[in-house]
Amino acid sequence: MSQQQTKNCITLRGSAQIICEYLKFAINSVLFQRGLYPPETFKAEQQYGITLLITENDQIKSFLSNLLSQSEEWIVNKKVSKLSLVIINVANKEVLECWDFNVQYEEGDIELSKEKKETVGSKDLKKIQQEIRDVMLQVAATISYLPFLDCRCTFDVLIHAKTDCDIPEKWAEAEPIAIANAQNVKLKTFSTSLHNMETVVSYKLVD
Amino acid sequence: MEARVNHQHTIRKEMQILFEEEKASLTEQHKMDERALADMEERLQIIRRREQELRDEFNQLMKDHSIAKAKWDKEKSELHKTVADLKEKLLEANVSNKDQISEMKKDMDELLQALEGAQSEVDILKKEVAKQTSRAEQCITLKTQLEKQTFELQQVTNKLKELEYEKDSYKDWQQQAKTAQKRLINMAELEKEVTRLRATERSLRDAVCNKLLLEEQVHQLTSRVEVLQPVHQELHEAKVKIASLEASLEEWKTAARNHGVENARVLSSALDSALTSQLSATANCSEVQSQLTQLTEEITTVKYERDKATTKLNDLLTVRKNQESLIHRLQKRLLLVSRERDSYRQQLDCYEKELTVTLSGETGAGNSALLAARVEQLEKSLQSYRDLLDTHDQQAHTKLVESLRNEVAKWRDEAVSLRRDTIKLKAQRDTLQSHLERLDTTPRTKILHLADNPAAAAQKQAQQDYEAAQEEIKRLKQALCEGGSKDVLEETQKLKQQLESRDIKLKRMKEEFTSSAQEYRDVCYMLLGYKLDRTGHKNYRISSMYAESAEEYLTFTLCDEGIEMVHTDYSTSLEDLVDLHLHQHRSFPVFLSALTMELFTRTTVAEVC
Repeated sequence: MSQQQTKNCITLRGSAQIICEYLKFAINSVLFQRGLYPPETFKAEQQYGITLLITENDQIKSFLSNLLSQSEEWIVNKKVSKLSLVIINVANKEVLECWDFNVQYEEGDIELSKEKKETVGSKDLKKIQQEIRDVMLQVAATISYLPFLDCRCTFDVLIHAKTDCDIPEKWAEAEPIAIANAQNVKLKTFSTSLHNMETVVSYKLVD
Repeated sequence: MEARVNHQHTIRKEMQILFEEEKASLTEQHKMDERALADMEERLQIIRRREQELRDEFNQLMKDHSIAKAKWDKEKSELHKTVADLKEKLLEANVSNKDQISEMKKDMDELLQALEGAQSEVDILKKEVAKQTSRAEQCITLKTQLEKQTFELQQVTNKLKELEYEKDSYKDWQQQAKTAQKRLINMAELEKEVTRLRATERSLRDAVCNKLLLEEQVHQLTSRVEVLQPVHQELHEAKVKIASLEASLEEWKTAARNHGVENARVLSSALDSALTSQLSATANCSEVQSQLTQLTEEITTVKYERDKATTKLNDLLTVRKNQESLIHRLQKRLLLVSRERDSYRQQLDCYEKELTVTLSGETGAGNSALLAARVEQLEKSLQSYRDLLDTHDQQAHTKLVESLRNEVAKWRDEAVSLRRDTIKLKAQRDTLQSHLERLDTTPRTKILHLADNPAAAAQKQAQQDYEAAQEEIKRLKQALCEGGSKDVLEETQKLKQQLESRDIKLKRMKEEFTSSAQEYRDVCYMLLGYKLDRTGHKNYRISSMYAESAEEYLTFTLCDEGIEMVHTDYSTSLEDLVDLHLHQHRSFPVFLSALTMELFTRTTVAEVC
């Protein structure tokens, strides 16, 4: 476990790391479930007490590590409000699906924070992991109602950051996306007591 | 005087002035002359200097001239010397040239002579060439003659070979003649046998003739029997029919007797009458039938009317039921109204009583009794109200149900319209939401993403693929234009034509081959007297033209050493020939020709006999 933990004490950075780890597994899971990349390029891994699939494609790996390391910084600095994983049709650049990961910032344990002189949370790690597991299982279950992607698709991750946020190197501003005739499904939320993560999938409703 | 002196004075003064002026002018002129003189002196000096310079120059030049002259003199003398040398040389050269020319002339004469000699030689050679060409022609003619002769020679050798072959055959003949002689020795016995055999043959032929006659007779008889059998059968059938007919006649007769008819005429009259009666009956029948059809039509119309009436009746019944129910309701209402009326009356009564009570004054016991009575009355009225309510209830219920139904239908329509509205509103909401989001998110947050994201990469890849595909299409189109499907088509057509022509050729060749093979076989058969059949791999069967039966054939197999005869029943019967020609001569052709000879003689003998 990468997050810092001392006697049920979660620091801001530790919480951000938990969030980013969740994002990594969630994005990988979506990529696998939605069939964006061939299943043989994924490797099974035990996490949160369930088996999850992680890509072995070097390009995606490096993309995700770059993305999540920067996101972690931003989450620590409370710059990010939402991360969107968009699934795009390569042929006509149409957005077919959008996985929104809404980040909300919470107070944490105020007394403990005063004691430690930094913002900390006191939620039990096992409980957090159980909550994340529930969300992951829901993500896996979405395949039963999401429309079948029958075209060549690709993905991108958009970060909704505050306007005062600097644009680092290799990053660029993107156009906002919109799905025509969208259907939204809210999945379960989980909280680290410092961050609250809400997962929403919106997809194009086919008549 | 004085005046004169004054005058003289003035004149002198004037003169003095004049002289002074003249003096001044003269001094000026003098000065001018001096200046001119000085100038002239200067010029003279310059000229003198120049003269000096020129003189120096002249002296220098004179010196140069003398030096040059000396030089030229020297050169002149030298040149004179060279001229003298050259003249000497010229003389010498002239002499040598003359010598050379004389030598050249000599050479020329010699060469001319040689040329003449060569020309004469050429003439001789030409003549010889002409001779040689004529000889060559002769040679060619000789060669053609030689070729002809060689050809003749070959022919002659061929003939010779043939003659040798004939000679060989003659030898065989001789041997055959020997065998024939041997046989001739046995001739006497054979003749005896022949006579005996002839006798037997005659007897056999007679027997055969008899047999034939008998067979013919038998055949005739059998045919007759065959002809007679159906006749016989017919006879039988006729007999049976006659019997049956007689029986039926008898029956008829008895029937006639029963009817009191004795003769045939009477019967016929009776039959006529019966027929007429039958005719009348049929006429009646047809009439009756037409009536029947009319009746059935009438019945159908009646039925239709009945159905109509029944439907009307049903309608009327339903109307009646409705009316009955209405009546029932009206009765109920009447009852209700009467009860209501009663209750109102009671109420009226009780009000009156109350009035009387209030008017009569309030006394203790009476009051309580009155109250009790009032209570009772009120209870009664309550009861009556309750009853009324109960009776009212059902009607109200049905009304309520109807009203509710109407309401439901209304609501349903409304729901449908509302659904439509919701669909419209949803679309509107979506558009508005997206619009709102756009308006909402842009100021608050900005969207960032990694420049090197999979979507961009995939799009680039797709673009590249697309371009590559486009290029390939272009290339292929060009190739198509250049290569041209026309060429390919033409080529295929050409090839098809070629194939067809080849097929036809092959077919013709096959036909030709089969026909020529057949011809060849026929010719072989006609010329050599044997039919050759290939019965399998390397197996050949031959049968002679003169063979007596199809079973008389010989089989041969082709093996590495040559050809071998296979033993058959027929070959065992030819042991003499086999011994002689195969074991001794080792020659199949001779054996076969001997066999043909034998068979031929046998058949001719048989024919003669």
